[in-house]
Amino acid sequence: MAAPRSPEMLESDLTSAVTLLKHLQEQVMAVTAQIQALTKKVQARAYPTEKGLSLLEVKDQLLLMYLMDLTHLILDKASGGSLQGHAAVLRLVEIRTVLEKLRPLDQKLKYQVDKLVKTAATGSLSENDPLRFKPHPCNMMSKLSSEDEEEDEAEEGQSEASGKKSAKGTVKKYVPPRLVPVHYDETEAEREKKRLERAKKRALSSSVIRELKEQYSDAPEEIRDAWHPHVTRQSQEDQHRINYEESMMVRLSVSKREKGRRKRASVMSSQLHSLTHFSDISALTGGTPHLDEDQNPVKKRKKIPKKGRKKKGFRRRR
Amino acid sequence: MNDTVTIQTRKFMTNGLLQLKQMVTDVLQLGKATVPKTEVQEKLAKMYKTTPDVIFGFGLRTHFGGGKTSGFDTSVDYAKKNEPKHRLARHGPYEKKKTSRKQLKEHKNRMNKVRGTAKANVGAGKKK
Repeated sequence: MAAPRSPEMLESDLTSAVTLLKHLQEQVMAVTAQIQALTKKVQARAYPTEKGLSLLEVKDQLLLMYLMDLTHLILDKASGGSLQGHAAVLRLVEIRTVLEKLRPLDQKLKYQVDKLVKTAATGSLSENDPLRFKPHPCNMMSKLSSEDEEEDEAEEGQSEASGKKSAKGTVKKYVPPRLVPVHYDETEAEREKKRLERAKKRALSSSVIRELKEQYSDAPEEIRDAWHPHVTRQSQEDQHRINYEESMMVRLSVSKREKGRRKRASVMSSQLHSLTHFSDISALTGGTPHLDEDQNPVKKRKKIPKKGRKKKGFRRRR
Repeated sequence: MNDTVTIQTRKFMTNGLLQLKQMVTDVLQLGKATVPKTEVQEKLAKMYKTTPDVIFGFGLRTHFGGGKTSGFDTSVDYAKKNEPKHRLARHGPYEKKKTSRKQLKEHKNRMNKVRGTAKANVGAGKKK
C-alpha cells in the first residue's frame, strides 16, 4: 500500500489498529444495549407523537432512514463490496438534501419548540412569558363587588395589588409603556443653541473645510464623478417634480412663488460668481452670519400679545 | 444640422384599468419649432402600427433652449371609452353641448320656483 515504511512504524500502526478495534467492539455493544432499550420503550408506546409537531416527526423518520442506509453501506463496504453506483448512496443524498432544506423551517419554529420544551420541563409557563400578563377577570371581580360596599381605599389598593400579583406571578422586572406625552418647553436660548449647532454642522461640510481636511489627512484622495457640483435645492425640487409628472402622467401648475424661486436659482447658477462664492462658515469662526441666496432667512419668532386678554381676565375674576 | 424629427417613448405601460396604453414621449427636433400634436400622432401611429385616431397626446412642453419636447401619450384600443371628454374633443370625434353656463343657471333657478311636473314646462321662460 504505502511506499517505504519502516517496520517500527508498521508495528505501531498495528498496535493502534488493534486497540481501536477493541474500542469499537465495546462501543458497539454499549450502543446496541441502548438501542434495544429504546426500541422496547417505543414498542410499549411510551412516546406518543400524535399531538406533537409534525415537522419534528418528519425529521425523526428521515434521520432513522439515513441511519439505516448508512449502516447498510458500512456493512457492504466492510464485507468487501464497492460503493460504486450503490442504490443506498442515492437514497442518502436525497435524504441529506431534504434535511438541509428543512433547516430554515427549523429556524422559524425555534421559538415555539423552545417554549414547548421549557413548558414540558417545568410543568408551567416560564417567568418572562408574555402570556402571563393577560387579564384575569376573576381577579377583578373582587374589586367590582367591593365598590358597592364602602370599603377603605387602603383595602381596595391591597386587593388590587394582590390581584395583580396573582396574575403576573413572580415577575421581577416590569417596563411601563411610554404613553405619556412629554411637555414641550423650549426656551429662546435653547432654540438659539440648536440653530448654532445646525449652522456648525453645515459649515463643517462646506467646501472650504473639506478641502482643508483633505490637505491635512493622510487618506488617499477620492475622485467621485457622480455628484454634481452645482446641485442646489431648486434643482432637486425640479427633479422631484419631473419624476412625479412622468409617473402620474399629469402636468402640475407652477405658482408665482415657485416661478420666482426657479428664476433666482437659474440666475445664480448660471453666473460665474458661484465659483468664488463660498458657503458660510461663521459658525466655526464666530463671525457674523451671511446667507446663501437660495436659502430662507432665519425667522425670528415674535411674541404676539394676545388681544383683549386684560379685559377677559378682568371679567373672569368677577 | 439634422432636420428630421425623432420620437422616443419612455415609461411605456399598459394600463389595464383604463384599457389603454400610456407612455411618455420625447420629441427631438433640432433647429425646428415645436412639432404640432398631429404630427406626433401620425409618427406614433406608424411606430405602433395603428391608425392615428386612437392616439391622444397631451402635456407637450418644450424644454428651455428648444430642441426637445416632452409630453404624454395614450393609445386607446377599445372604442375610446375611458378617454376624458376634453381630449376627445381636441382630436375630433366628440362635440360638447354649447349651452352657456349662465343660461343653465338661470334655467335651474326658474325650475326651483316651481314644484313637481310643472318643472318641465319652465323651459318656456328661456325664450324671453
